[in-house]
Amino acid sequence: MRSSRLFLIPGILAVALGAGLVLLRRPVSEPAPSATAPQRPVVASLRAEPRSFNRLVAGDRSSAVLALLMHARLVQLNHKTQEIEPALATRWTLAPDGRTYTLELRQGVVFSDGAPFTADDVVFTFQALYDPKVEGPLTSGLTINGQPIAVRKTGDHAVVLTFPEPYGPGLRLLNALPILPAHKLRDALARGELAKAWTTATPPSELAGLGPYVLQSYSAGDRIELARNPRYGARGPDVQPGVERLTFRIIPTQDAERLALEAGELDLLNSEIRPDDLKAVRALEAAGKVKAYDLGPALDADLLWFNLGPDSRKPAAARPWLDVRVRRAVAHAVDRQAFVNTVYLGAGTVVDGPITPANKAWHAEGLPRYGYDTAKARALLAEAGLKDADGDGLFDGAKGKPFTIELLTQRGHALRERAAAVIAADLQKAGVTVDVVALDVPALVERITKGTYDAVFFAVTAGDTDPSANLDYWLSSGSFHVWHPKQARPATPWEAEIDRLMHELTALTDPRERQARFVRVQQILATEVPAIYFAAPSLTTATTTRIDGLEPAAMYPYVLWRADTMRLAAAP
Amino acid sequence: MWRFLVARACLLVVLVLAASSAMVAVTSLAPGDVTGEAHAAGGSPEQIARERARLGLDRPPLERYLEWIGRTVRLDFGTSFRYNQPVASLVATRAAHSAILAGVALVCAIAIGLPLGVVSGSGRYPRCAGVVGAISLVLLSLPPLLIALLLTFVAARTGWLPTGGMQSAGADAWDAGRRLLDLAHHLVVPALALGLPLAASFERVQQAAVAEGSRARHVLAASARGVGAGRWLWRALWRPTASPVVSFLGLAAGSLLSGALAVELVTAWPGLGRLMFEALATRDTPLAAGCGAAAAVFLAVWTTLGDVAAWWLDPRMRPGAAR
Repeated sequence: MRSSRLFLIPGILAVALGAGLVLLRRPVSEPAPSATAPQRPVVASLRAEPRSFNRLVAGDRSSAVLALLMHARLVQLNHKTQEIEPALATRWTLAPDGRTYTLELRQGVVFSDGAPFTADDVVFTFQALYDPKVEGPLTSGLTINGQPIAVRKTGDHAVVLTFPEPYGPGLRLLNALPILPAHKLRDALARGELAKAWTTATPPSELAGLGPYVLQSYSAGDRIELARNPRYGARGPDVQPGVERLTFRIIPTQDAERLALEAGELDLLNSEIRPDDLKAVRALEAAGKVKAYDLGPALDADLLWFNLGPDSRKPAAARPWLDVRVRRAVAHAVDRQAFVNTVYLGAGTVVDGPITPANKAWHAEGLPRYGYDTAKARALLAEAGLKDADGDGLFDGAKGKPFTIELLTQRGHALRERAAAVIAADLQKAGVTVDVVALDVPALVERITKGTYDAVFFAVTAGDTDPSANLDYWLSSGSFHVWHPKQARPATPWEAEIDRLMHELTALTDPRERQARFVRVQQILATEVPAIYFAAPSLTTATTTRIDGLEPAAMYPYVLWRADTMRLAAAP
Repeated sequence: MWRFLVARACLLVVLVLAASSAMVAVTSLAPGDVTGEAHAAGGSPEQIARERARLGLDRPPLERYLEWIGRTVRLDFGTSFRYNQPVASLVATRAAHSAILAGVALVCAIAIGLPLGVVSGSGRYPRCAGVVGAISLVLLSLPPLLIALLLTFVAARTGWLPTGGMQSAGADAWDAGRRLLDLAHHLVVPALALGLPLAASFERVQQAAVAEGSRARHVLAASARGVGAGRWLWRALWRPTASPVVSFLGLAAGSLLSGALAVELVTAWPGLGRLMFEALATRDTPLAAGCGAAAAVFLAVWTTLGDVAAWWLDPRMRPGAAR
């Protein structure tokens, strides 16, 4: 018997120690704001834990979603209409100079800790945003041509924002900026330590916000518990969240996320459903367990782009894709409908450019199209000077080897790996050999930033539907002008023309004039094909039937952008 | 004994430095760095350059490593690049979660494996031994990842058990007893996924030990004198057959560590394995080094405990003992 006890000793000690640690470790928690009977929390998923509760320094999706729930903005983007709507700013006027906005702020609004919201908080937030010691992921999106927006308080509930120059998208860019409590963070900013404030280890009592929910506790790596903010008033006293408690479970894999939904442990998916899981989710819907929402095509489509900038590894002669005919050949060589069927299992839409049909205001019809035509692709490649001397069906490269393109993509991203394989197979039929190399994100980004690659199949996520919000992609000087970033001056006449048109449309405020210029930009892109778009996935997300009051839309976060109207469905 | 413990403590220091240095090397020499995520999220090149300078990533890897060593020997593991928090606190929380999982998995493995090993090794229940042997073989050939997937699938379909996570939504508001029960409920899937292959190993080791032990003279003598099989099997054989099993405990630490990574990912268990995976994938060097150090401490302490237990059980195994 003595021996048998011996076997159990290490295990029991470990369990007792661990369980004791969990039980004794007081999760940073606050008393529930409501003393009414507890409501079962609504449970949503997050793929990764937030990097910080300080949105000014954290650009990851989880931190952004939490900021959306815990903070409010001056104006916010309606994800359904893709237009801005009032939030903390109830009204605004634009001066004739086209760059000065006067904003009236909502009165009687208080932070979750009871402190009143005033114009000082707005001024403070902009101060923090542009502070060199803070400068984070939001800063570049809130500068115009590298210049900050000047903010001036004109009353307790009035501010004037002066843009450095007329700016077409207007106040849309404020959608990204959470208004922070000056009374909580002023000292940290003065000490130069705001970037270190509000980490995930910060006790919830030190946080305050104007959003519909407040942080109640955070269990590292496991879950984040939020409670309804009883003082919420960012969209007026009539808009109040109907859910008492909202819990985020951190579920690192999509398989586990889908199984949790199936088991009824999740009420709300915070991401889109993978094409491979659609069938299972439809079955759950048929069984009355979930509501699936078809959101239509995604706003962003993955793309293939060639390296048109300098590449220290290869001379220009070894990079035939610098010739537009080769790029057009590649665009012709891929069967887009088969791409949709194979990569997205049919749940996708063929697209010809970066602006998908989901972008209601800016999608253009009638752009040059590249239909699936292998013979035409081969003809274009031959026209560009590629030869198939040995008649093996493959074009020749240097030293008698086949002409080969190394296509980089993201490792572990099943859809991108699958897409790269489809592209490689189609190009093989057109006589081009493709070596698909899957790399993890840091390694992929390093190759891209160093410019040591042939082609990449990856994503470029737009910050907003308005193209002027994505100048980094369109302008030749932009760091996200992926095929040849950060050009001192436009390397090609067509890039110069895109630069001119984008500068013009960004400074214009008339929607029709802006639209006309952007159609031309899209035409140029489709003609020169520095980046090739094949398809946008059709988005579907799901919730359980116990929640209601949602307005899911194709812009991320698909469901929780309207968290302040979410409520529990009435019992049947 | 004390000399042994001091030697092991020295070995622990070397092991911790080696493991964490390996992590520093892997994350520093692998292509890309932690700012890749910021770049993919739309950070400007100037902002990323400033961030790299702030984190010291613009300096040569060797210089960074020497600085890191200097801090580490003072037990300062630095600040996580991603979370902007001290590595020690991040790692400690996750290590505690992993310790719970590993401890329960080990208890499951022992509780299942040892009795079955006795049954199959005694030779008294041949049919039962055949079945147990076959099941052990299957479990030994299944990696914890596959078992975790299978059990999670069963949990989702039946609704009997949570599919993942460590505690239920709203658990922080509950009393300690209810939280403990909830924790136990959430432990079933990951602990079984991690513990079942280990249980099969224990069963095999115990089976061999009992089979050999039951042929020992004192057992045969006891049996000849009319001592009941139950008595010699379940009492007299425990101690002599326990030594190989206890020795195996040390080896089990490695299995638990490697299995934990996959199991924690599948079952969303917020443990050290998941944190380490994330730190490596995002090139968060200080965090990866901290996780490596914690894993090394776990391995060293566990094997030392295994050795000490083996000596306590069998004096012949002590250093210098007459064989």
